[in-house]
Amino acid sequence: MTEDSQRNFRSVYYEKVGFRGVEEKKSLEILLKDDRLDIEKLCTFSQRFPLPSMYRALVWKVLLGILPPHHESHAQVMMYRKEQYCDVLHALKVVRFVSDATPQVEVYLHMYQLESGKLPRSPSFPLEPEDEVFLAIAKAVEEMVEDSVDCYWIIRCFVNQLNNKYRESLPQLPKAFEQYLNLEDSRLLSHLKTCSALSRLPYDLWFKRCFAGCLPESSLQRVWDKVVSGSCKILVFVAVEILLTFKIKVMALNSAEKITKFLENIPQDSSDAIVSKAIDLWHKHCGTPVHSA
Amino acid sequence: MAQQANLGELLSMLDSPVLSVRDEVTAVFKENLSSDRGPMLVNTLVDYYLETKSQPVLHILTTLQEPHDKHLLDKMNDCMGRAASRLPALSLLGHVIRLQPPWKHKLSQAPLLPSLLKCLKVDTDVIVLTTGVLVLITMLPMIPQSGKQHLHDFFDIFGRLSSWCLKKPGHVTEIYLVHLHASVYALFHRLYGMYPCNFVSFLRSHYSMKENLDTFEEVVRPMMEHVRIHPELVTGSKDHELDPRRWKRLETHDVVIECAKISLDPAEASYEDGDSVSPQVSARFPHRAADVAASPYVDMQNSCGKSNIGSYLLRTFVSGNPPSTRLLTDPSMVCGMTTPPTSPGNVPPDLSHPYSKVFGTTGGKGTPLGTPATSPPPAPLCHSDDYVHISLRQATATPPKKVSHSPARPALTQMACSQWCLLSPSLFPAAISKELSEITTAGTEPLVPRGGFDSPFYRDSLPGCPRKNHSAASGAQGASVNPEPLNSSLDKLGPDTPKQAFTPIDPPCGGANQSPAGSRERQTALETDILTPSPCKIPPQRGVGFGSGQPPPYDHLFEVALPKTAHHFVSKKTKELLKKAKGNAEEDCPPSTSPAEVLDRLIQQGADAHSKELNKLSLPSKSVDWTHFGGSPPSDEIRTLRNQLLLLHNQLLYERFKRQQHALRNRRLLRRVIRAAALEEHNAAMKDQLKLQEKDIQIWKVSMQKEQARYSQLQEQRDTMVTQLHSQIRQLQHDREEFYNQSQELQTKLEDCRNMIAELRLELKKANSKVCHTELLLSQVSQKLSNSESVQQQMEFLNRQLLVLGEVNELYLEQLQSKHSDTTKEVEMMKAACRKELEKNRSHVLQQNQRLDTSQKRILELESHLAKKDHLLLEQKKYLEDVKVQARGQLQAAESRYEAQKRITQVFELEILDLYGRLEKDGLLKKLEEEKAEAAEAAEERLASCKDGCSDSVTGHNEEASGHNGETKPPRPGGGARGGGASRGGGGGSELSTPEKPPTQRAGLFSSRWETTVGESATSIPTTVGSFPSSKSFLGMKARELFRNKSESQCDEDSVTISSLSETLKTELGKDPGAEAKTPLHLDGPQPSPPSPDSVGQLHIMDYDETHQEHSEG
Repeated sequence: MTEDSQRNFRSVYYEKVGFRGVEEKKSLEILLKDDRLDIEKLCTFSQRFPLPSMYRALVWKVLLGILPPHHESHAQVMMYRKEQYCDVLHALKVVRFVSDATPQVEVYLHMYQLESGKLPRSPSFPLEPEDEVFLAIAKAVEEMVEDSVDCYWIIRCFVNQLNNKYRESLPQLPKAFEQYLNLEDSRLLSHLKTCSALSRLPYDLWFKRCFAGCLPESSLQRVWDKVVSGSCKILVFVAVEILLTFKIKVMALNSAEKITKFLENIPQDSSDAIVSKAIDLWHKHCGTPVHSA
Repeated sequence: MAQQANLGELLSMLDSPVLSVRDEVTAVFKENLSSDRGPMLVNTLVDYYLETKSQPVLHILTTLQEPHDKHLLDKMNDCMGRAASRLPALSLLGHVIRLQPPWKHKLSQAPLLPSLLKCLKVDTDVIVLTTGVLVLITMLPMIPQSGKQHLHDFFDIFGRLSSWCLKKPGHVTEIYLVHLHASVYALFHRLYGMYPCNFVSFLRSHYSMKENLDTFEEVVRPMMEHVRIHPELVTGSKDHELDPRRWKRLETHDVVIECAKISLDPAEASYEDGDSVSPQVSARFPHRAADVAASPYVDMQNSCGKSNIGSYLLRTFVSGNPPSTRLLTDPSMVCGMTTPPTSPGNVPPDLSHPYSKVFGTTGGKGTPLGTPATSPPPAPLCHSDDYVHISLRQATATPPKKVSHSPARPALTQMACSQWCLLSPSLFPAAISKELSEITTAGTEPLVPRGGFDSPFYRDSLPGCPRKNHSAASGAQGASVNPEPLNSSLDKLGPDTPKQAFTPIDPPCGGANQSPAGSRERQTALETDILTPSPCKIPPQRGVGFGSGQPPPYDHLFEVALPKTAHHFVSKKTKELLKKAKGNAEEDCPPSTSPAEVLDRLIQQGADAHSKELNKLSLPSKSVDWTHFGGSPPSDEIRTLRNQLLLLHNQLLYERFKRQQHALRNRRLLRRVIRAAALEEHNAAMKDQLKLQEKDIQIWKVSMQKEQARYSQLQEQRDTMVTQLHSQIRQLQHDREEFYNQSQELQTKLEDCRNMIAELRLELKKANSKVCHTELLLSQVSQKLSNSESVQQQMEFLNRQLLVLGEVNELYLEQLQSKHSDTTKEVEMMKAACRKELEKNRSHVLQQNQRLDTSQKRILELESHLAKKDHLLLEQKKYLEDVKVQARGQLQAAESRYEAQKRITQVFELEILDLYGRLEKDGLLKKLEEEKAEAAEAAEERLASCKDGCSDSVTGHNEEASGHNGETKPPRPGGGARGGGASRGGGGGSELSTPEKPPTQRAGLFSSRWETTVGESATSIPTTVGSFPSSKSFLGMKARELFRNKSESQCDEDSVTISSLSETLKTELGKDPGAEAKTPLHLDGPQPSPPSPDSVGQLHIMDYDETHQEHSEG
């Protein structure tokens, strides 16, 4: 009741008239005011609306489990996290794995490797494919988050989420992609099939790296809002939308190599629109997540 | 050749007097011509004609067909070249052309035309020239489009001949010049009519020259005064005139009429409808004609002694009177101009009077003929008809007076008649009169009946006085002779009469020509005027003529314009003409020759006669000077006369040609009239039809009205019926409703009844049930009754018993009273006791109640308390949960931190080990040697201690050790292995601390290692100490302290070689079978056997650890 009284009574009508996200910030603030944050509510909110950038880091940290739901313990937990970060960093420095000259992203990578016990014997060891994924994601997150501790933790948890929570669903995404593309534009799909480009589309870039390095960070973080909040299907729709947006160019290309090459380096200017459309498409096909509270 | 001979014969036979022979020969010639295509026959014929002037040959030549035309033209061209045959050739050409052969259009291309033109330009013979000019004039309308090439030739010819008229070169007779002048005048008209622009420009250029000025003044200018301005001068151009398209639309006669239109000369002019000038002219003209026609009549009427028309006619024709011919041909001699001088003196002021007088006196009948108003152009013709009778009568009466020449007279009179007759039939359209044609042709053939005086009108005239009602008489006679044709002709004549109204030009002309001829005294005067054409004189003359009392004559002129009267009049006149013609037809004639030929021949014969009897004739004025009556005239004069005659003939032929053209045109116009009439009739018929239809419509309307009335009646009936039916329906409906209501009521009643029945039935049932009930009750009551009876009996019985019992009671009471005094104390005591007890109990109960209350309250309190507690507990739980979660969060963080720490440690360890590995590699060999020595000593030491150590304690210790060997088992094999491979203890140590081992195990390892080190410490202390990882840990510290005592003390003993140690071990093991059973399990088991009481305590400590561990696990 108190929440409702604080909210603008007009907010109910904003959505009816077509203004989306007018009161989002406020409602998010209300959500964040709760002691013992309701993770579910935050998830739903994040899936329904784009997060205001000032709360994005906080929400992500909460959703990724970096911060506990209790405000009280935030400081302490954060301190732990920071100490852990420092310790790991220090250890790496001690074993002379990293130096001050090492790029931050690699530092993160080695830290992650260390923490997961996969630290190679020497920093000069060749990178594994999963390390490449980590590096791409780390680069993207580094752009989004300023604090290096937060950054490291978000990367770490995000990658962990990909590896654990989405371990099963990620391999299914190409199939889903094919299905939705068929629904949206079967001609394009048949074109891809005739070019035999369907199997050679940059699925790694799209689904394993979650478009890190493919889309600019400003749009990417909107996609990742959804990923962080527990839906990896959004990746499929972003991919579909990319194909739909560049349909004409793709239709003009005939060889799988060219298509793949083009899709790996799509123009960045229309990414915002692509993401918006993709989210709409996602809502259309999977339904708007209902506020379950 | 034989043909040639035959030809001669045939040609001579042509002129045979026998008609049948002539016809046959003609047929033979025609056959030949149609079969033969060569020029020979034609040439022969032409030659023959030129020789003999044979009429049949001429006939053949004029009717030549197409393939021969070229030969004929060539031949004529040849003849034209020779001066001798030029004149006959020209006349032949004239004959041919006038008949308008179908090949006339070829003339323009034929060489004949240039040669003709050349001839006209070069020749000096007036006769030839005149003839040529006339031929040319005739030819021009037929070949209008050829004018282009020869136009200047024509104009040159005109210029030459016009100058001739003035200059009179050489010896030319003046009489001839008159002819020439006339023909030049005609040429002028033709050229001006056909090519106005070109001609005018020619005139302008030609007469602008000084030398030609005289000619213009004298000759051309008077001519120009007789023409109107040609419309083409305004609208056309030089080129347009020569445009073939312009001429294509026009036929020959159209061209002729076109030329006549622009003429102001009444002799030439033609007045057609649509011509703005025509009314005036025609008005002027008829008047004159009437004048002219009237004049002889007036002459006759007023001055009987004077010459009458008949005599003039005779004279003019028979004598070939030069003045008359001159009159005829003189361009300036127009009837209107010439006659006035004759008439004014004679004609009474009121022109109409004479007529009215005549008719008033003669008949006084109201016949249309008699109306003076109808004295239009035809009038002269018509009247003159009558007057011809009169005049002829008079002529017959006075023939000897004037005319000395009798033989020709009948013929001449006939000719005059034929002249009249010719005029009228020629007007008939060919289409109309098939039946009439016989009559008319017959009528136009008055040659045979020489005794023309016994023709009807002569017969009429013989009676004399009956002339007054001549129409009736003639009508009677016409009826008696053949009434049918008359009637039929009358019918047919109707349509063409209007035409006659327009075509009286010729007749009056003729009349004019003839009538003035009679006035001989004028002729001389006129003669002088000839060469000074006298249009300028006309007005004065007319002024004289009209000034005397002209106004009244105009009245009838106006009426002339009215077509109806004219039509009427003309029809009358033609009727008469027809009658006359029929009269002529009675005395029939050969059918073949045309009237024109007749006339031709007549004139020729007249010429013949004249030449025979020339001496008897009075010569014309000119010759009068030098001829003597009765004397034989000089041959020169005869020739002159002949030539004149020829010229006259030519002229006549030309005029006839013109007339034919007019006739052609008339026919065409007549056709139009017929069509108009037909249309009118059609109109009338349509009107009739219209009327009929209107009538029909009226009838229909009437019937429609009737029908409407009937319809309305029916409607009314229907309406009434409908209203009736409606009312019926209403009534019926009303009835129905009533019935319905009734039935409704009945139904409700029925329902009520049913209800009632149901109720009654219910009641019945109730009653039945009641009955049943009552019956039941009754039975019950009866039962009760019986019961009560039995009860009464019982009661009675009981009463009795009661009584008995009462008695017994009393009895007992008595007994009791007897015993009562003993029991009261006891009873009272008991009562008291009871009361006390009761009170006690009551208070107790009270107490109990109070307690209950309090306890209940207490329960309530406790319950609420419990609830509170529960709530609190819940809250506590929640809080606990919360805290737990919080703690878990923190713990997770801490754990992760710990994990990280562990990882870090591992990394460090790894690093350290790595570093160690590197270090040890370096000093491995050195160490190995040292170790060997040490190991040998240690083995010896150990062997000794083993022997010392009590075996039982070893077992017990082993048992103890086996207790926690469960934990240390896994490293044991490693230890064993290391023991096996004792050569490198340090390596084994490094193996022991591989990072694969989980940290918990490592914790166990430390303890086990400590045990092993306890065991090993005896053998190789440096190794154990070196490999001991957790120097920091408390246990490790303790152990080290404990071991230090031993190791320090046994340090020397321990220096035994490892090999010896193993040997001793084996031997010892072989000796001790009890321990053997355990050695497979614990290779190193017996090794750490040398335990001291300290070590036991140490073990205790470890045990504590273990138990503690177990406890915590538990």
